[in-house]
Amino acid sequence: MRKVAVVGVGVTKFGKHDRTSAELFAEAAVEALADADLSPGAVQALYYGNVVGSETEHQLHTGPQAASVLGIPTVPTTRMETACASSHAAFRHAVMEIASGVSEVVLVGGAERVLNVATEDSTEYFAYASDARWEQSLGLTFPGVFALIARAHMARWGTTEEQMAAVAVKNHRHGVLNPKAQFRKEITVEQVLRSPLVADPLKLYDCCPFTDGGAALVLASEEVARTRRRPVWVLASAAASDAMLIHDKRDLARVPATERAAAAAYRQAGLGPEAVDVVELHDCFTIAEIVATEGLGLFEPGMGGVAAERGWTSLGGKIPVNPSGGLKAKGHPIGATGAAQIAEVVTQLRGEAGPRQVDGARTGLTHTLGGNTATVLVSLFGRE
Amino acid sequence: MIHLQHFFERARAGELTGVRCRRCGELAIPPKEFCPACHERAWEPVPLSGEGTIASFTVIRIPPRAWASEAPYAIAAVQLREGVSLLGRIVDIPLERLAVGLPVRFRALVDRSQTAVGFGPS
Repeated sequence: MRKVAVVGVGVTKFGKHDRTSAELFAEAAVEALADADLSPGAVQALYYGNVVGSETEHQLHTGPQAASVLGIPTVPTTRMETACASSHAAFRHAVMEIASGVSEVVLVGGAERVLNVATEDSTEYFAYASDARWEQSLGLTFPGVFALIARAHMARWGTTEEQMAAVAVKNHRHGVLNPKAQFRKEITVEQVLRSPLVADPLKLYDCCPFTDGGAALVLASEEVARTRRRPVWVLASAAASDAMLIHDKRDLARVPATERAAAAAYRQAGLGPEAVDVVELHDCFTIAEIVATEGLGLFEPGMGGVAAERGWTSLGGKIPVNPSGGLKAKGHPIGATGAAQIAEVVTQLRGEAGPRQVDGARTGLTHTLGGNTATVLVSLFGRE
Repeated sequence: MIHLQHFFERARAGELTGVRCRRCGELAIPPKEFCPACHERAWEPVPLSGEGTIASFTVIRIPPRAWASEAPYAIAAVQLREGVSLLGRIVDIPLERLAVGLPVRFRALVDRSQTAVGFGPS
């Protein structure tokens, strides 16, 4: 297989926008192509993530729509949907297209628009990523799914609400340093603990927001990448799945798909968690970050909450997690999230992250989780 | 093979039905064609007691639009006595009494056309 590099990244401001998801993607793609110093004519394929376009924009076929708005309507385009991991799945397929020798330059993107509908509606649309007959019929929501995981983790390991709050406080502190973040305001543990319950034991400040936004990446073969200014190499990209239904999961305190995707990625790259300098992971809820840091092997099972509370995952800590502010503070435009996480890690490995830079970062990891933990992607990146 | 429709028709009558793999003994909630443990296709239906304990639970305070009038309501993952789990809506148990390990019993929740899984006091 051929080596693949990320040679350009672009991300819109995250938050509320009055533009379509296709326009948000196109803005990010213009930035990514300029960053790569490549013309749109160089792009040979587009892999695109978008999740609830059917619901919020009454729009299917969002891949070609996005390509047309960008101005590359004849490029072969495929939309991927793996719930919140969609553009990370798109990324993995783009990597495979270049690694296999089919294409030299491939664009990856994702975008989502949800703040144009009411919270009851977006809550319902996101719940479509759980099973219709078994789970939606009970009125289960995504905060509810992660509340079940939180309660199981608390019962199993003694994880506390204060430890979960520490994740939110840390990610908000990081978000202040990110000009693209939806929230740029510090919060305190007390504010998190006093915020209204959404799905017990998760409170409002344990939850990431609804977000509009887009992200794009330009990927290139080694031959093309060697002619670009700052290639960041893809060391691994792995996907794993798990049982769709919560009732088929044996241990709600774990996310086995994270463990399997991480094991596969570390094997592909020939390195282990101790080699990772910076991590962007899927903190859709504070408990999700705690369980992910354990599943990725950054900490022992049951130590994720302790790590957050002691500052081990903060900028300046043992292993900085979510220097961008994470989904919690940067925001979570679900179709764009995987690509946006990769854009942050690439920026970190180039040493261009400004006040949120992880000093000397050479190896980075991104982790994106889809739906009720049934999809996980993990990728590893390195600079030369 | 027990299809979703069969499972919920029996559930409506108060009976929970699992499937056991004749090759490896795996117990599962249908529908599944192959056994996820051994990949054999040799299921036989087995009745489930409907008795179990709460493995995890939550109280939904911000519901999807369709459930707005029912909030707050509790949903629990219940480990049945036989070893498999089912997710269900909690009924007739005060929210403040909910706890991991609390014994509960299956209750069919029938709403005109649709049956859902519920659990009430044991």
